[in-house]
Amino acid sequence: MKKKIGVYICHCGGNISDYVDVEKVKKSIEDEGGVYLAKTTMFACSDSNQKDMVDDIKGNELNGIVVASCSPKLHLTTFRNVSERADLNKYNYVHANIREQDSWAHSDDKNGATEKAILLVKAAIAKARLAEPLIPNKIQAQKAVAVIGGGIAGMKAAIALSDKDCPVYLIEKAPFVGGRVAQWGNMFTSNQTGEELITKLYHELIKRKNITLFTGAEVTHNAGSIGDFRLKVSVQPRYFTGTCEEKQLQQAIDACPVEVLDEFNFNLTKRKAIYRNAASEYPQTATIDMENCTRCGKCEAICDKIDLSQKEEILDLHVGSVLMATGFDPYTPAEGEYGYNEVDNVLTLPQFVRMLELSDKKLIRNGKEIKNIAYIYCVGSRQEEDGNTYCSRYCCTSAIHTSVEVKKKFPGVYNYHFNRGIRTYGKQELLYAESLQLGDIYLQGDEESLPEVSGESGKTMVKVKDILSAGRLIEVEADLVVLVTGMVPRADNSVGSMFKLPKGRDKFFNEIHMKLRPVETFIDGVTIAGACQGPKNIMESVNSALAAATKSYSYVSKGELETEPIVAEVDAELCSWCDACTAACPFDAISMTNESSKAIALINNSVCKGCGMCLPVCPTDALNLIAYSNNEIESMIDALAAG
Amino acid sequence: MAGIDPKFGEALKNYGAINFNACYNCGTCTAVCSLSTPENSFPREMIRLSVLGMEEELTSSLKPWLCYYCGECTTYCPQTANPGELMMSLRRWLTSKYDWTGLSGLLYKSLPLTIVAFLLVAIGVISFAASQAFNSETIMHYGHYFEMIAIGAVFAFILFPNIIRMWYFVMVRSGKKLSLTTYVKTSGELFIHMFTQKRSLGCDDNQFRWFEHFILVIGYLMLLFTTVFLDWFGSQNLFVILLGYVESALIFIITVDFVKSRIQKNREVSKNSQPSDWFFVIWLLLMGLTALLVRSFIGLGIIENNLWMYLIHLTVLAQWALIIVPFGKWTHFLYRSFAMYFEALLAKAN
Ligand SMILES: Cc1cc2nc3c(=O)[nH]c(=O)nc-3n(C[C@H](O)[C@H](O)[C@H](O)COP(=O)(O)OP(=O)(O)OC[C@H]3O[C@@H](n4cnc5c(N)ncnc54)[C@H](O)[C@@H]3O)c2cc1C
Ligand code: SF4
Ligand code: SF4
Repeated sequence: MKKKIGVYICHCGGNISDYVDVEKVKKSIEDEGGVYLAKTTMFACSDSNQKDMVDDIKGNELNGIVVASCSPKLHLTTFRNVSERADLNKYNYVHANIREQDSWAHSDDKNGATEKAILLVKAAIAKARLAEPLIPNKIQAQKAVAVIGGGIAGMKAAIALSDKDCPVYLIEKAPFVGGRVAQWGNMFTSNQTGEELITKLYHELIKRKNITLFTGAEVTHNAGSIGDFRLKVSVQPRYFTGTCEEKQLQQAIDACPVEVLDEFNFNLTKRKAIYRNAASEYPQTATIDMENCTRCGKCEAICDKIDLSQKEEILDLHVGSVLMATGFDPYTPAEGEYGYNEVDNVLTLPQFVRMLELSDKKLIRNGKEIKNIAYIYCVGSRQEEDGNTYCSRYCCTSAIHTSVEVKKKFPGVYNYHFNRGIRTYGKQELLYAESLQLGDIYLQGDEESLPEVSGESGKTMVKVKDILSAGRLIEVEADLVVLVTGMVPRADNSVGSMFKLPKGRDKFFNEIHMKLRPVETFIDGVTIAGACQGPKNIMESVNSALAAATKSYSYVSKGELETEPIVAEVDAELCSWCDACTAACPFDAISMTNESSKAIALINNSVCKGCGMCLPVCPTDALNLIAYSNNEIESMIDALAAG
Repeated sequence: MAGIDPKFGEALKNYGAINFNACYNCGTCTAVCSLSTPENSFPREMIRLSVLGMEEELTSSLKPWLCYYCGECTTYCPQTANPGELMMSLRRWLTSKYDWTGLSGLLYKSLPLTIVAFLLVAIGVISFAASQAFNSETIMHYGHYFEMIAIGAVFAFILFPNIIRMWYFVMVRSGKKLSLTTYVKTSGELFIHMFTQKRSLGCDDNQFRWFEHFILVIGYLMLLFTTVFLDWFGSQNLFVILLGYVESALIFIITVDFVKSRIQKNREVSKNSQPSDWFFVIWLLLMGLTALLVRSFIGLGIIENNLWMYLIHLTVLAQWALIIVPFGKWTHFLYRSFAMYFEALLAKAN
């Protein structure tokens, strides 16, 4: 069918027309093959112009349009919608960017800019002549979501999804849900304890019939893609068939010969291989840590509800979307970093928070009552290039909050904050003000003059050049040094690699667009929430969890999904399955299939992003990218080169 | 290496400092202060040193004296940390540091003690009058001598040693060596500042207050001179008599205005009055007023029958000379003038 193309060239106020002679562009392309009408317009995106376009298309029965204006990132959808309103297939609209790629870039050369605009529009017309109507791919979406990680983010996301009537599988690796929050006592900014929050959420969780909770569970395998993820989940047993009588349980614990460092208390204390949950950990039952258990059977002999023969279970789950909420690890300082593991009264903020929880009447370290506490900020954050250059955001507030708690619980303690500029944003500022009022002392260094810790002759000294008092070298004798450690990505990233989740510069999981698509990832159907995306406090973790829940739900809610038809396709005749393309595909969209007993490549339409990486590596030219066929690209190049 | 002391801030609160812990070191106060210079920058630095409790540095600092409390800093401080009042408290604290007797500090910190001291002096005056059988002639005779002796003694035993201490903290500890001739040559600074307080003109919107202060200082010093050396109460010279009236009236009028503004709290400087501030203005007012009345009673020839008037005046005078001048706010005037002098000397040493 002969093409009847309408071309619209935009002034963009003056953004384009100040440098590009748009009238000349119009004249130069009017006679191009297929062009039925050509217009200039002050603002192509304006309502009135959109309406004119619809009338033009309908009135003249146009079957292709070209818009030459700003970047398609801004208005691609606008003009696709215009086409659809005029009953023109939206893939028959072609865009030429003559602003970012022309007028703005060549504001010093108006003639050159005009010539370039003419070529760009001609190339777009060439493509429009060959453009074909396309229909979006439709795929089935399983109405269920897997939430990986049962911290506060995962729990809130699961509850939100459940409330939308969507079945949820909440998969928690640890024997208990709650994540890090279960480890904290009184917390900023709501002054609730971790125990209170987790208790509340756990009861909300188990109330909901459409949430299936797995603890001690890990995704071990993933196949499939958006709408149709097939997961294998391994679930570890608890080794309990029921609840032991309290006295018996205690005897069993006492009998256990294995003693290990207790990670819940960040190794400040020890526990047995069979151990009780903390009050904030749910479900509230004891468990056995099989990694350290020697299967000696001593506990089993005491309580008949203990059963060491229980086996791991492997489950198959089928879900339409995956919501990742695997959280963070606290930064572990290097040996000797600010005296860590070298000076014996140096510990990290998470350890100190636990120590506070475990301390009763007096704050004691190594038999000595603590009076002076030095906090060293930004440990493991805001490091030099190559290190963790980011700010961990939660830690200023957390350190200040903790220091205020200390002062309330143990009056007479003096706090010294060796910081690098306090970042208690938003309402958290009130805590900073409170701490100032309590007489806490803030000493500020910078990247050139970081604090130094030394421990000689039984004294621990911390010194810094305080930039707030003209660089005076100030020294404090501390009974305890608290390293205010930041957040780092989970050391175990196996689940991230399994889903091929991209990571950002800071090595946390990365969103597509920080502002506009903050919980989506480049892996369609997988959303991210909480601190696995980057340092967040609880409020921020929960905000992102609710956003991610809504986004995940939007993938599965209709039972069917539309995806872009712009994907790679295989010419079965030409393909000889040399396998070169699988390695080139960054999204694992290509696999092998047999067609009339010949091995050829198969493209998974719901995974393929149309990036085109596979095309150049194919030795037989068997691959074609829909809407960017060789014909189309060559015709565009011809148009550009003809100038 | 400097040590710090978080307890110092608490101690400073006894000298009237309020809320300075709220300071987050933005520096707004220093930026708006019209007297702060890049070489001598304050008040933020003083707040910082106070928060950290760097006593030694504070003791040798002249900066508190360089501030004339226009209160701009307090107006603009985003944390309502009240930097102006902190500077004022540091002046009080410094006064107690300079004072070898330690009485300044005690009186600042304790109102009851101050009241006891005032009462003791009053009792002393009355007992003295009783011992003289309330004979007006002898009492007025000794009263006249008392003024001279008290001034001399207070200077010799209290103020002079205190100035020496101040000199030691500031000049000797600075480690700067200056020749005696430099001291002499620069001494002009001392008197210019003592009589004119001209630096306070640098404070924004301060012209009228400076003028009031100037007239008050001149009036006060002249009244002192007129009573002690020209024997105002005894003189028959019309000029001397009139001069005395004018001086005491001026003191009265200006101090009334000061008291009024402390009551109305209409300026930053008068918002946070400590007892020492009240005593200072009220006793100055009373001195002007009672001197005026006594002299009028003498003029009218009714003083013999109304000796109580003179006794009130003498009590006010004695309290002023024995408490406020050596240990109270009066010393600020003296130390401030010396601070300017030392400042000029230090500048020469650089
Ligand atoms: C010392 C300290 C004090 C703090 N105090 C406060 C405070 O007072 N107020 C405040 O707002 N914030 C505070 N925070 C921040 C708060 O801890 C975090 O915002 C919150 O923990 C983030 O929740 P999350 O669910 O994203 O991650 P996490 O709490 O880390 O939970 C992640 C969960 O995922 C599980 N998981 C990990 N990998 C897998 C896997 N592969 N498969 C299945 N499950 C997995 C983990 O076991 C864990 O249960 C503090 C942080 C620290 C370090
Ligand atoms: S929040 Fe504060 S302590 Fe944490 S990295 Fe940022 S600036 Fe440093
Ligand atoms: S303006 Fe206020 S907060 Fe800012 S430095 Fe001065 S006293 Fe501190």
